[in-house]
Amino acid sequence: MRRYILNRLFQFIPLLIGMTFISFLIIQISPGDYFTQLKMNPEISPETIENMRKLFGLDRPVIIQYFYWLKNIFTFNLGESFSYHVPVSFLIKVRLKNTIALSIFSILLTWIISIPLGIYGAIKDKSFNERVLSFFAYIGISLPSFFIAMLVIFFISKTAILPLGGTTSIFYENASGFEKFIDYLKHLLVPGIILTLSGIGSLYRLMKNNFLEALNSPYIFTACAKGIPTYKIYFKHALRNAINPMITIFGYELSGILSGAGLVEIITGWPGMGRLVLEGVLSFDLYLVMASLLIGGILLIFGNLLADILLALVDPRVRLR
Amino acid sequence: MKKLLNVRNVVVGNEEIKILREISFEVNEKEIVSIVGESGCGKSMTLKTIIKLLPKNLEILSGEIYFDGIEIVKYDAMEKIRGKEIGMIFQEPSSYLNPLFTIGNQVEEAIKEKIEKKEKKERVIKILKEMGLSSNVYYQYPHQLSGGMQQRAMIAMSLINNPKLLLADEPTTALDLTTAFGIIDLLKNLVTKYNLSIIFVTHDISLAKYISDKILVMYAGIIVEKGPSNLVYTNPLHPYTQKLINCLPEKYKKGERIKTIEGQVPSLKDLPEGCPFSPRCEYKKKICENYIPGEIKIEERNVRCFKYGNFMES
Repeated sequence: MRRYILNRLFQFIPLLIGMTFISFLIIQISPGDYFTQLKMNPEISPETIENMRKLFGLDRPVIIQYFYWLKNIFTFNLGESFSYHVPVSFLIKVRLKNTIALSIFSILLTWIISIPLGIYGAIKDKSFNERVLSFFAYIGISLPSFFIAMLVIFFISKTAILPLGGTTSIFYENASGFEKFIDYLKHLLVPGIILTLSGIGSLYRLMKNNFLEALNSPYIFTACAKGIPTYKIYFKHALRNAINPMITIFGYELSGILSGAGLVEIITGWPGMGRLVLEGVLSFDLYLVMASLLIGGILLIFGNLLADILLALVDPRVRLR
Repeated sequence: MKKLLNVRNVVVGNEEIKILREISFEVNEKEIVSIVGESGCGKSMTLKTIIKLLPKNLEILSGEIYFDGIEIVKYDAMEKIRGKEIGMIFQEPSSYLNPLFTIGNQVEEAIKEKIEKKEKKERVIKILKEMGLSSNVYYQYPHQLSGGMQQRAMIAMSLINNPKLLLADEPTTALDLTTAFGIIDLLKNLVTKYNLSIIFVTHDISLAKYISDKILVMYAGIIVEKGPSNLVYTNPLHPYTQKLINCLPEKYKKGERIKTIEGQVPSLKDLPEGCPFSPRCEYKKKICENYIPGEIKIEERNVRCFKYGNFMES
C-alpha cells in the first residue's frame, strides 16, 4: 500500500509539468496579453509598453517563459501579478483561505445532509415522503446555482438574519478570538447555504439510486434468508456497497474546491479565489491564472489519490489489484 | 416418517396474475424432494413462498403452509425461522455472497445463538472444514474463491444453525459438471449427517432422479405430477412429464434428432382457462380447455390430468 502511494506521488510530477505546460501554452498563444489594453491608451508610448514587456519577460519565446516560470515554482515562487504589482502568493493567501473554508463547509454540509436523506429515500422508496423528497431534489437539480443564490439573497435581505457580503463585520477588529470566529462563520453561512442547496439534489439522487441498487442485489436476499435483523441488512450489507461509488465522486468534489464556488462567490461578494481568478483571466494576468491552475491541478490529483486510497480501504476487490 | 413441511393449496400472485396455483406437497424428515420444470414455471417462487421472501408485488393469496407444527402463512416472526430452521442456497453464489465481507464474517453473522466471538469463529471454521474447505477460507473474500468453493461456503452459511430444511435453488446450474457433482454428493451426505430435509430445485430431471426421493413436476405454476423419483422417471404419467423425459439426450442414439416439445410455455399473464398444458398436449379433449384437472392418485403418484379417471369420454 505504501509503495503504491509513493508510486502515485512520483507520477504527479510529470503529470503536473505536462498540465501546466499545456495551460501556459494555451494562455500565451491566444492573441493579446496584459499590455494589449494599455496600447489603447494614447498617453503611453509604444516604447514604454515594449520596455515593460521586456521587464516582465514577455518578449522571450513562450517555451523559455514557461521554463523560467517552472524554475521559480520549484523555489516556491509563484511570480508577480501584473495588475497588482505584488507577489501572487501574497495575493492569493487570504483568498485561498476563504475559498477553502467555504468549499469545505459546503461540501461537508451537503454530504452530511444528502447521504442520510438518500438512504431514507431508498428505504422508503415510492412512499409519500420519498416522493416529496425526490420532487424537491428535482427542483434543486433543475435550478441553476446563481438563481438559488438570488432567492437566498432576497430572503436574507428581507429578513436580515444573517450578514451579506464580505467576511467580517465592522466590529471585527475589536472582537475577541472566539467572537471573530463566530462572525466569520456567520458571513460564511450565506454562500455556504447556497452552495449546499445547489449540491444536495444531485447527491441525494445518486445516494438514493446507489442504495436502491444495493438493496435489490442478490446478496441482500441472502442476508434476508439468513434471518439477520433489518438494521444489519441496511447498514452493513447495503450501505457498504452503496457507498463505494460515492467515494469516487467525493474525490472529484475535492478537486472542485477552488473552482466550484466561483460563481456563488462573485454573486454573494465572498472574497475568494473565484472573483480574483476571473479578473485575472480577463486581464491576462498570467502568473495569477497559472497559480490558480496549478493549485487546482494539485487538488484534482490529490482528490483522485485520496478516492483511490479510500476505495482500496473499503473494497477488497480493488485492494488486490 | 414424520412430516416436516406440509404445503396445502397455496396460491401466490396478485390481482393480475397467479404465479402459483393450488400448490400442495409434503416433505418428510431426512427427505430430498426435487422440483423440476422449465424456466418460469414457478420452481424458485415455491421456495421463496416457503421462506416468505416473495417480491413486493406478490403475496400468498390463500392456502396454508405447516412447517414443524407452525403455520407459516399467518406467522409474523419469520426472522426466527429464516436461517435458524430453514436455510437457503442459490444458483449463482458469486452474486449471492456480499463481495465486501470475508466468508468468515458472512457465515459468522448467520449464527443465531449469543456466544462469544472466539467460539463463533471456531464453529465457522469447523463447518467450513466439513464442507470440504480449508480453514483459510475464513479470511478470504468471495472473489478469491472458485464457483464450487463459493457454493460450499454458501452451504456452510445456510447450515451453521443446524436447520431442519434446506431450500436449494438450482445450486449446481452455474457450476461445471465435476464441481456440480461434488456439491450434489455433499448435499446427499448432509441429509444423514445433519438430519436435514432438502427441497432441490432443478431443471434437470435426471439429476433430480439421482439426488431425490420424490419429484414434483411443475408447469406454469401448477404441480402436474408428483411421486417417488424412480416411478416418475421410469414411468411418467402426465403427458408433460412424458415429453420432458423424452427430450433427454440419453434416450437417443448418436446422430438421432432429439424430439422437443412443440409449442411454447404460456405466459403467466395469458394462461389458458383450463389445463395450462392443453395447447401443447396431444391427448387434449374439450374438457381440458375449460377446466383445470384436480389431483388424481394412481400408482403412488398424484397426477393432474383428465387422461386418468373417467373424464375422457365427455
